[in-house]
Amino acid sequence: MAQVVIMPRQGISVESCILVEWKKSVGDAVKKGDILFVYETDKAVFEEEATEDGVMLKQLWEEGDDVVCLENVCIIGSEGEDISQFEATTDNKPSKDEAKEETAEVAVKETIETVASEITSTGRMKISPRAKNLAEKSNADLSVAQASGPEGRIIERDIKTLIKNGAKVTSAVGDYAGGAIGTGLAGSVTSNDLGGISPRKANIDVNAYNEVKTTNMRKIIGKAMHGSLSQMAQLTLNSSFDATQIFEFRKNIKTKKEELGLSNITINDMVLFAVSRVLLKHADLNAHFLGDTIRHYETANIGVAVDAERGLMVPTLFEASQMSLNDLSQNAKSIIDQARTGQISPDLLTGGTFTVTNLGTLGVESFTPVINPPQTAILGVCALTTKLKPDGTPYQAMGLSLTFDHKAVDGAPAAVFLKDLCEYLASFSSNLALEAAQGVLV
Amino acid sequence: MTKKLQVMPEEKRKAGVLEFKPIELNTYQKSVKDEKDNFKKEDFLRIYRDMLIIRNFEEMLNTVKLTGEYEGLAYHYPGPAHLAIGQEAAYVGQAYNLDINDFTFGSHRSHGEIIAKGLSAIDKLSDKELTDIMEGFFDSMIYDVVKKHSKAKTTKALAKDFLLYGVLAEIWAKTTGFNRGLGGSMHAFFTPFGIYPNNALVGGSADIATGAALYKKSNKKEGMVICNIGDGAIGCGPVYEAMNFAAMDQYTTLWEDGYKGGLPIVFNIFNNSYGMGGQTAGETMAYDVLARLGAGITPSQMYAERIDGMNPLAVIDAYKRKKDLILEGKGPILLDVITYRVSGHSPSDSSSYRTKEEIDAWIAADSIKEFKKQMLAAKAASAKEIEEIEVACKEDILNAVKLARDDEISPRMDLDKNPNILADMMFSNETISNMEEGRKPDVLMKKEDNSRVKQIAKKQRFGFDDKGKAYSKLKSYHLRDGIFEAMFEKFYEDPTMIAYGEDNRDWGGAFAVYRGLTEALPYHRFFNSPISEAAIVGTGVGYAMCGGRAVVELMYSDFLGRCGDEVFNQMSKWQAMSANVIKMPLILRMSVGSKYGAQHSQDWSAICAHIPGLKVVFPATPYDAKGLMNKALNGTDPVIFLESQRIYDVSEMFHEGGVPEGNYEIEIGDPDIKREGKDLTILSIGATLYRALDAADILKDKYGIEAEVIDARSIVPFDYEKVVESVKKTGRLIVTGDACERNSFMKELAHNVTELAFDYLDAPPVVVGSRNWITPAFELEDYFFPQASWIIDAVHEKILPLKGHVSKSNFTTLEKMRNAKLGI
Repeated sequence: MAQVVIMPRQGISVESCILVEWKKSVGDAVKKGDILFVYETDKAVFEEEATEDGVMLKQLWEEGDDVVCLENVCIIGSEGEDISQFEATTDNKPSKDEAKEETAEVAVKETIETVASEITSTGRMKISPRAKNLAEKSNADLSVAQASGPEGRIIERDIKTLIKNGAKVTSAVGDYAGGAIGTGLAGSVTSNDLGGISPRKANIDVNAYNEVKTTNMRKIIGKAMHGSLSQMAQLTLNSSFDATQIFEFRKNIKTKKEELGLSNITINDMVLFAVSRVLLKHADLNAHFLGDTIRHYETANIGVAVDAERGLMVPTLFEASQMSLNDLSQNAKSIIDQARTGQISPDLLTGGTFTVTNLGTLGVESFTPVINPPQTAILGVCALTTKLKPDGTPYQAMGLSLTFDHKAVDGAPAAVFLKDLCEYLASFSSNLALEAAQGVLV
Repeated sequence: MTKKLQVMPEEKRKAGVLEFKPIELNTYQKSVKDEKDNFKKEDFLRIYRDMLIIRNFEEMLNTVKLTGEYEGLAYHYPGPAHLAIGQEAAYVGQAYNLDINDFTFGSHRSHGEIIAKGLSAIDKLSDKELTDIMEGFFDSMIYDVVKKHSKAKTTKALAKDFLLYGVLAEIWAKTTGFNRGLGGSMHAFFTPFGIYPNNALVGGSADIATGAALYKKSNKKEGMVICNIGDGAIGCGPVYEAMNFAAMDQYTTLWEDGYKGGLPIVFNIFNNSYGMGGQTAGETMAYDVLARLGAGITPSQMYAERIDGMNPLAVIDAYKRKKDLILEGKGPILLDVITYRVSGHSPSDSSSYRTKEEIDAWIAADSIKEFKKQMLAAKAASAKEIEEIEVACKEDILNAVKLARDDEISPRMDLDKNPNILADMMFSNETISNMEEGRKPDVLMKKEDNSRVKQIAKKQRFGFDDKGKAYSKLKSYHLRDGIFEAMFEKFYEDPTMIAYGEDNRDWGGAFAVYRGLTEALPYHRFFNSPISEAAIVGTGVGYAMCGGRAVVELMYSDFLGRCGDEVFNQMSKWQAMSANVIKMPLILRMSVGSKYGAQHSQDWSAICAHIPGLKVVFPATPYDAKGLMNKALNGTDPVIFLESQRIYDVSEMFHEGGVPEGNYEIEIGDPDIKREGKDLTILSIGATLYRALDAADILKDKYGIEAEVIDARSIVPFDYEKVVESVKKTGRLIVTGDACERNSFMKELAHNVTELAFDYLDAPPVVVGSRNWITPAFELEDYFFPQASWIIDAVHEKILPLKGHVSKSNFTTLEKMRNAKLGI
């Protein structure tokens, strides 16, 4: 019976050995104790001895081959014996890594959940230093950040998402963004920007100047404005409406306010009121655009741009759509006053879903207000101009400039909103009457 | 080959009786009168003077400690003073016949030894030799102080003042001390006089002195080595390891002609009957008579005898006889030198452990009084001559005190002005590729004829072929080949280069790193040590301290505990404690195991890294292993060289062009970016590199995260620049290694990166180490050592939640708290 000699395993970590030298050739007689071949591991050289007498019938490997341990190496038997059953158990190939059994892929549900960033009761927000720095640099609005890090921590990728979605800083996160409390922004330029032009004097020293340090507020507004324009696809639509009715209404109020128990409702209040009503029918404009999603708000929380002492501020008129005109007027007056004097709560400087800015009182006929991200649009109220009706009758037209983010809203729906708003304002009295009929007190 | 020494049953099993020779006790009983013809008058007077100087010196220290002044000179000395008043005769007798080629090593109680050895050296050196030594030491700094203030008229007198001042300034931590005040009382020494370090660890000098003797033998250097330890040290294991190491059979059976015989060392036990307060013979020891021990070590019984150390002439006689034996190659020798410490262990010792009667009896037998009496009786010297010496000795001590106490003349190291002065001494950071230029290294064959060299020549030095296909394992150049090549080349360059450890020679090292060295190197450069880890490292320390280069090996890093003192207190400290007089070109190779369970699979890199004064490297690729070994071998600092057993056979997969053949160096402390990435940094220590790379593959393929993988390569020193730059880029860091996570060096890295790059971090750095458990059996190891999947889990749970990933391991904060609370 032929005997197969295998490659011994010399040590637990040895997987294969090099067959260094054959000491017996095929056909050679072999005696027990004879050296058959020499092999080496990575550590040492060994000799394999014959354990039986016989003849070297077959060598399955050549000198220099790398032989897997426990593999057949040669066959010793008697002359002429059939040895076909003892061929090498593997192809004559050096050891290779056995294909490891792939572990079955376990179907798993998505396990990353983002949570709205939490500000804990101690006022601390969980955020990584890296994310915080990035937010500061890019003025990302942390208040709307979705934390995807461990244990509800805002991490870098969350800020990147915010930046991508255009959510920029507002005052509520001024602390985190390194800015001063009380800043806000809207798609508006301030009167200061317009008021710097003065008549040239003769004999002026052209090199004389007065260098004023840029205030922090200025820097933040600047960054925010630039950020807004660079992150969005903004464009502005201009339209106007016949202001006859609202001026009539205003005149009536002025004379009868005491008698009716109404506050001093201004033209601006009426525009805000109209906006709050019309907006609810145009969800895409009363919204926050977050890239992958858009949030349609159920109430219109209207930001009112105010030219405050320290610069532009945008207090929010929360739930404007739920207020009567009188309430709205009172509330608007209150927040505007608070903003002007810098007494406003930071909570009122955030959360707007749409912004209204008014340069009409300064005679501006049309402009391109800048959107306050992540809002999708802003309305600019312009000055009155005289226009002619088709029949040639002149009338006072008030201009409206609507800037919207084309990333979030298309031109046609924006134009429809503007048209609806113009129509609402042009027929302000009847619309107000309709509101009253539906139970909203004037 | 030990194959020529066969171990046969008929021999081992034969019946018979083992006989011992009688051991002589205090056989020498002569006095001055008996030796009058063998010594000159000056010799007797010198013996007396030397004993007296030592006595006065120690009494002065005692007075200063107790009263805060000496002869009206106020000085506050808060440091230790281990005095040996009463032991002077033993010191002076020993030093009498020693010259500067005879190296002494001492204990914490060695003021007297140093002074005796120094005075003996001064007596034997010529004026020119003395001046050269004094001028050459610290750029003449100490000599300049002494020259300026000493009234000495002769060079020898000046040298005596130099010695006393150098020792005292050292004891008082002055920068003009022999070791710039960094050694202090227990560590004052002066190598130019053949006075090598004293050691605050009881018995600590035993294996170091043995290494010095090995240096003398292997490099055929003149002189012998004296290991001065106390009887208390006989309770210390490493002392026995040292005696056995010094006496190994192979010196006579296997070492080549010209190198035969035991090591040239005398284990001199100053036997004062107490180990601090514990009485040795009678209480803590079992030997009854200490000299008995020699019979337990060698057939020669270490030529052990008991000598009356109260009689300087008896000690002189013993050393004269023993020196002859040493020259005949009959070392090591054991001397049980009887002496007695009249003073307390230190000034705070109230001698509560011994009677007044006992102390008084020894005071009555005081060697100095007795010797004076003998001199007068034998008319060897006149009373006037003796008195002159007594006056002069007092004067000598007073002069030393005046100089050493003065803060202007003898300032302390100014760490306000030069805050880094001590830090800069922690390493010598020199490049000396050959420790003894000019001598031909002793080798047995041409490099190119070496079987291993031939085998390596056939290997692929880069792991992949032109098409990027990996070569078969056995045809590739391995990490172990890199270590071999670096060492092999050094053996052929530096004649002092020596390597030993357990199973180094015929076996080729437990992991075949040394395969091929046996045929190339004689025994005196490469041999098997006994299984004596303390002696392996300790002798390496002594060998390197004397000017040789040694690579010693612990088979497993787990054995580190067996040589804790040698690594933590000796190897690491002597460069700085000597104020860089001593260099330590010693490499300690330690393999880090796996597969072998709890006591053979531990990565103790952090324990080594904790100890100031050690460089610690842990390469993971052949290119890095050879480059770091070259750097270590060309340097002068002690290096812990960690090698993982998992990857001895890894091929070079990173360095394009493969492992170079020449002597290239990799800077110790320079980590290496093995793979670039932008989203996450994985910093790995040692073999964990390959699991980190697997993790990086998974992160990329499954989650689109590109990890940058950095291999620490070294841990002390460590240059954080590359890591910090990487973290600034990625904002995220995983540190991984095979050490148990708690208190690991990974934690150190994570902590420092947090400090250095806090503002850039998107999550706290996370350490993925081994569990704080025992290493379980091989079959369970994947639950213990960090796996690629753990790294993914850690990323998911602690750094960057991964879409669709479900963790198998628990890296949550709660789990961390729970484990810490339970201590696991």
